[in-house]
Amino acid sequence: MGKLIKKFGMMNLKYFFKLIALFCLLANSELLYKNLSEEQLVRLNYLSDNIRCPKCSYGNVSSSNAPISKDIKNEIATLIKDGYSDDEIFELMKNRYGNYILLNSGEDKMPIYLIPLIALIISILAVTTYTIKKSK
Amino acid sequence: MTDISVDFVGNALLWGATIGSFLGAFLSFLHKHELARRLIFLISVVLLTASAYLVIQFLNDNFSFLYVAQNSNVLLPVYYKISAFWGAHEGSFLLMIVLLSLSITFSNYFIRNKNQIMQSNFYALSILFLYLLFIVTASNPFYILSNPPINGADLNPLLQDPLLAIHPPLIFSGYVFYAVTFCFVMSGASGVFSKELFSIIKVWSSISWFTLTLGILLGSIWAYYELGWGGYWFWDPVENVSLMPWIAGTAFSHSLIYSRTKIMLSWMVFLSIITFLLSVFGSFIVRSGILNSVHSFAADPDRGIFLLGILSIFTLASFIVFFRSKDIFKGNWPKFGSINYLLLLNNILLMTILLIILLGTLYPIFTEVIFESKLSIGPNYFSELITPLTIALIGLFTFEQFLRLKGKVFFLSALSLVVLSTGVYFFFEQMIFLSLITAGVLCIVLFFNLFISILNHQTSLRMHKLFGHLSVAALTFSVLFNHNFSESVDIKVSEGDQMNLLNSKIFFEKVEIVTDSNFNGVRAKFVIDEEYPLLPEKRVYKVGGQITSETAVNSTLLKDYLIVLGDRFQDGSWSVTFSKKYGILMIWMSSFALLLSIFYGGLRRQL
Amino acid sequence: MKRLLFLIFLGFFAGFIYFFSLSLSKPKLSDITLQEGKMLPSIQELVDLNGDIIDERSLSNGKVLLNVWASWCITCLVEHPFLSKLSKGEDLIIIGINYKDDLSKAKNYLDENGDPYKFSIFDYKGYYALKLGVTGAPETFLVIDGKIVKHRIGEINQKVWNDEFKVFF
Repeated sequence: MGKLIKKFGMMNLKYFFKLIALFCLLANSELLYKNLSEEQLVRLNYLSDNIRCPKCSYGNVSSSNAPISKDIKNEIATLIKDGYSDDEIFELMKNRYGNYILLNSGEDKMPIYLIPLIALIISILAVTTYTIKKSK
Repeated sequence: MTDISVDFVGNALLWGATIGSFLGAFLSFLHKHELARRLIFLISVVLLTASAYLVIQFLNDNFSFLYVAQNSNVLLPVYYKISAFWGAHEGSFLLMIVLLSLSITFSNYFIRNKNQIMQSNFYALSILFLYLLFIVTASNPFYILSNPPINGADLNPLLQDPLLAIHPPLIFSGYVFYAVTFCFVMSGASGVFSKELFSIIKVWSSISWFTLTLGILLGSIWAYYELGWGGYWFWDPVENVSLMPWIAGTAFSHSLIYSRTKIMLSWMVFLSIITFLLSVFGSFIVRSGILNSVHSFAADPDRGIFLLGILSIFTLASFIVFFRSKDIFKGNWPKFGSINYLLLLNNILLMTILLIILLGTLYPIFTEVIFESKLSIGPNYFSELITPLTIALIGLFTFEQFLRLKGKVFFLSALSLVVLSTGVYFFFEQMIFLSLITAGVLCIVLFFNLFISILNHQTSLRMHKLFGHLSVAALTFSVLFNHNFSESVDIKVSEGDQMNLLNSKIFFEKVEIVTDSNFNGVRAKFVIDEEYPLLPEKRVYKVGGQITSETAVNSTLLKDYLIVLGDRFQDGSWSVTFSKKYGILMIWMSSFALLLSIFYGGLRRQL
Repeated sequence: MKRLLFLIFLGFFAGFIYFFSLSLSKPKLSDITLQEGKMLPSIQELVDLNGDIIDERSLSNGKVLLNVWASWCITCLVEHPFLSKLSKGEDLIIIGINYKDDLSKAKNYLDENGDPYKFSIFDYKGYYALKLGVTGAPETFLVIDGKIVKHRIGEINQKVWNDEFKVFF
């Protein structure tokens, strides 16, 4: 079911638009990272959305205007082109700058995913059973 | 060497107010109401004088004042010289105190019932006293330099924006009003909740809710237009810290609706305490240097310890009152399947969202302190967890509006569809699209509900409720819409270039030099689709030397065009980010609709 | 019931106070990891400001202080006199990394303020600095036989030198 909806989703339309954009380039102007394929561009966006700018107090590499962010984004583009996988790129960045700059969900962040879920389920069950008991 | 000494006038005024508030709290405790009331008036006059005194130093460019030297500059326009007053930690805290004293005075002049106001005055003046003690000892804005500098160090360029000049005071006002609301709830908890007290609490909670909503919204608008990242909410720790009291306050306002029957009275009091404590917690975490953020003030561990002390006193005191209260735990419990039961479920959802934000904000601090390892929580964590809960929340309140109607079965099935889709969302990652559709369907349902109600002339009493809930659904829809479709692309262009990107025609007309009293810069001119001009800028501030990039935005109802000017390449071309952001105007519009409903909902009781 | 809830509250409260007082008293960790303990990245064809190719071994022999600088960087100018003083005293080689700078401006900068560096790597695109883990200027690395033993982000002065670098000599 997930795939079906994705198929009708806007993603395809987006690819289509971007493809048109690529064909219509005029001389003298160019897309940065233009030597990446559509799929690789999506990966570049995903990676730079999930890597924090090491010099800024907040914000990821894709949204920050700091020079170091531009450098890292360029490097990610190069790494993608060289055939590195997402995990390998995350690992490389982690080795260089530390765990702090990873924004994606890793194993060390599991507790904060689980605690709200457990709290939600327990409180709904507790309140509902208590209410039913009281209503009788 | 420059020596630092205290300024006599400013400190005398602050100490006067401190002693006054202590005396006032004592008098209220002794039931000397009239005396306390006059003292309250006097305190606000003294505090207003103290702030006027500081503002005058800013206007006169009196750099012998340390605070003025750090936050102002001769070149600064007059209105920013005034707003520089709350541009840093000390002044903004002083502003908060002034607002608190003014709102206490205000309620003392409008509420004539002695019993209610006396109790609340005691709590309010104790809060004021502790805050003032903090100001005079750890956050004093009145220090004097023996060798004043010729020019000041300028106001942070980010703050040189009309929106950001009013955003912090609004957030502080929201906090302050919630503190006043809290005082009235406490006066009920330590005495009796009379009908009159409930109406006072309702008015104050509406005012607080409205102000905090407006403050957060303006902050968001500012972030979108000024920070220039194309985003309006970054799940930055400081933003989260202002959102948490808002969510607790939202739950609180809803729990007030059923206060008449004293159902869940303890829950209402608990929420009021939580809202107040979260707002104090916000000040603590932003000002203690525990968090790093765009918005946080300069770190000072001493302040942190002081604020932690204040927070602990508030927490302990309010919970002791809570647990000692006789009335509280006797409230009725709602029946299964009733509207009140749904409200309970809604409250659970809101509290879970609150918990998610709290955990996401504090977990990095926790791992740093306990495991000595740094980590970051990205926006994904918040959006992944909160989206399904918000959809469920909207589903629930949509269902609630039809509970009295005959066609229960139909809406019951609609609700199960919502629950099902949120469940599905948890299992498939890319299901944001499905939640978008769900939000859209719920919007339409709510809209028809509003429409039918208008036709049946039953609007005057329920208007704010129908309209408010519809705007929340619309807001959720627009946020998801924006999240799903927005796209951006990095390009390298030279003057005179024309290109087709993201299905739009972009023309780079020219670059020109711009100068202003406090910055120099360049301004580029782009034209999108031959009709929307965009003028992004890059500025270099004369005093601090900071380089900022001013994003150009052109809004249409459905989508916004954004251009950020990046770096200039050696061959004269520029790196430029072009983005299309969908639904931004819809987000602002639905938020303002929500504000309007809160306003009407609060006002309606007075008509 | 009421007593139990109050006890739960007290427990949370105590934990809360303990946690935040601990957080206030502990020194803050630096956000990004320092590069200490790592080997210098190897990159072919590094050139100095004169355009001469640099022998990589000159970076990894003995005690080398790598200093990231640029003519646009204000803090670099602040620490410059200290570096000049350092270049005359201790038994170490100071090598500059000219970071994202204009060649003529960089040369002017050294002409005006003196040149404490044995030579400076001309890193126009910041590529070598990126591999090294540099996030801005100024930054200073102490390298012993090719291994980074000390990494400092921000200004270096006599106090920082005595506190953090002196132990390696």
